[in-house]
Amino acid sequence: MAAAAAAKIAEVRETTRVERIGAHSHIRGLGLDESLEARHVSQGLVGQVTARRAVGIVLQMVRDGRIAGRAVLLAGQPGTGKTALATALAAALGLDTPFTSMAGSEIYSLEMSKTEALTQAIRKSIGVRIKEETEIIEGEVVEVQIERPATGVGTKVGKLILKTTDMETVYDLGGKMIDSILKEKVQSGDVITIDKATGKITRLGRSFARARDYDATGQQTRFVQCPEGELQKGKKWCTLVWYESRINIIEFIGDTGEIKTEVREQINGKVAEWREEGKAEIIPGVLFIDEVHMLDIECFSFLNRALENEMSPIVIMATNRGITKIRGTTYKSPHGIPLDLLDRTIIIPTQPYEEKELREILSIRCEEEDCQMSDNALTVLTRISKETSLRYGMQLIMTSSLIARKRKAHEVDVEDIKRAYQLFFDEGRSVQFLREYQQEFMFNELDDKDDLEMETN
Amino acid sequence: MVEEYNLDTNVVTRRAWRCNKQLKDEDKWDVEIGDPQPIYNKEENMMIRENSNQPFISRRITKTNLEWRIRNLPYSIETYSVMADRDSRCLIVRTTNKKYYKKLEIPDLDRLNLIPEQENVSFSHKFNTLIITYKKPKKLVEMEKTILEEIKQVQPKHQQDMNNCKPS
Repeated sequence: MAAAAAAKIAEVRETTRVERIGAHSHIRGLGLDESLEARHVSQGLVGQVTARRAVGIVLQMVRDGRIAGRAVLLAGQPGTGKTALATALAAALGLDTPFTSMAGSEIYSLEMSKTEALTQAIRKSIGVRIKEETEIIEGEVVEVQIERPATGVGTKVGKLILKTTDMETVYDLGGKMIDSILKEKVQSGDVITIDKATGKITRLGRSFARARDYDATGQQTRFVQCPEGELQKGKKWCTLVWYESRINIIEFIGDTGEIKTEVREQINGKVAEWREEGKAEIIPGVLFIDEVHMLDIECFSFLNRALENEMSPIVIMATNRGITKIRGTTYKSPHGIPLDLLDRTIIIPTQPYEEKELREILSIRCEEEDCQMSDNALTVLTRISKETSLRYGMQLIMTSSLIARKRKAHEVDVEDIKRAYQLFFDEGRSVQFLREYQQEFMFNELDDKDDLEMETN
Repeated sequence: MVEEYNLDTNVVTRRAWRCNKQLKDEDKWDVEIGDPQPIYNKEENMMIRENSNQPFISRRITKTNLEWRIRNLPYSIETYSVMADRDSRCLIVRTTNKKYYKKLEIPDLDRLNLIPEQENVSFSHKFNTLIITYKKPKKLVEMEKTILEEIKQVQPKHQQDMNNCKPS
């Protein structure tokens, strides 16, 4: 009874656990119907209908898994939902497809070369599903004998007698196995399976032959038939591993975090062998590179080459730049991406949101951030978002809600929004402020030159 | 795959397949014919294994027969029945006292896509051992002959030569 009560408490905790709220935690999918047509407001996404439809087609492409090495570029102004679309794609793909998300600037490290970081990201986005056959012992427990040494120290000795309807075998138990048998409270009459390699014990239920024993049985006790035939059976099941998951190959990684080419080749060879034997199948995933203009010319040419490999995933890039310098060169190119790579991509543009859509997004965010807002306040907030930016508008939700709570109101009103708007500057007003009071700030004498450019190289 | 032949009788005495499941795994051998590979330092990380006085099987091939020896079977000869099962292409060993049951696969016949026939099966019981013999079908004998001719072209090595070989 006490155990049941404890379980109940654990359950309650589970439901009331508060998740941290991120910028895109309201997104649960792409919001498409069966014919890949985008619903206007669905699964946390609003508007952007053509872009969503296009991403839906990319999704289909990934699911089919036949086409390798495509690149997709999401291009659009800041705050038009590029990252949101990628997040939605990841959510729609589900957990079974590898999805790697990285920012363009993540690859710069003193310890690892840029291309190595990219290679690792690319390979992390390829999954391998391995069908493995393991030996499983399945039978009814006739007897468990576990002897402890009289002194209390030393190894325990254990024996387990299992039977099926056709045979009976005595097994010797190792120390670990004894522990797990004691933990599982295996007793005679139980029907169990034991995974021979990992030693995992699963209780299938009680044998029907013991159904007449007047034991005190719980409600959940299942009665099953005693298995037939041999005790030891080979069974197949699937495991999904990321191609270059660090857990598998951690011992091969050198001090620099770089994976040696020989190791890669070894892995490739092994996977090819498994594929030949029909034991493994490749699941291509998605690599998402945000802020792709932060990559430099070397990375772009590397990507060009990497995309041609048949083992490459579908690469989705996002950028908010227009015609700008390619990093590492003095050449200008659209989106800061060299034309040859741009030529290999399919480009999905995202449009700025309409006022109506902004309102929808803001109300979704209000719900996500647990904040009640009156209609008027929402209108004002939409207006502000339209004038400044959507991100600024979203910032005001939480701040104004805290202001509203200070005056003990449970709904955010226009007053609170106003106050938050006065307290926190948006980018436009901040610039204006700087213009006015520039003289008072430090180092302002440097600012005379107007053509001072950001150094990115 | 490795095979050992007795050069006097021209019969396979040992055939084993290497199987290692993981990358960088120790070599493991799946012994098809001959005595099973002894396992050393097994006490250390043993999970569960059959008790040493439980039945175990070793296979051998003679000139005319395929043989299975199941040791540690103390019951008398009337207890056993060996059936050739056409569906699963196995020999099924049963005991009337429900103490032992085993499906014996016949890889040699599988490779030729032959189905086991009941009339080729016979068995005897001696010294706690059940010996099952299966008479080789004609097709198998012929195939073994052609394989042997192929093998005869390989230069045999003496044990001494092998000892001089220094593995890195």
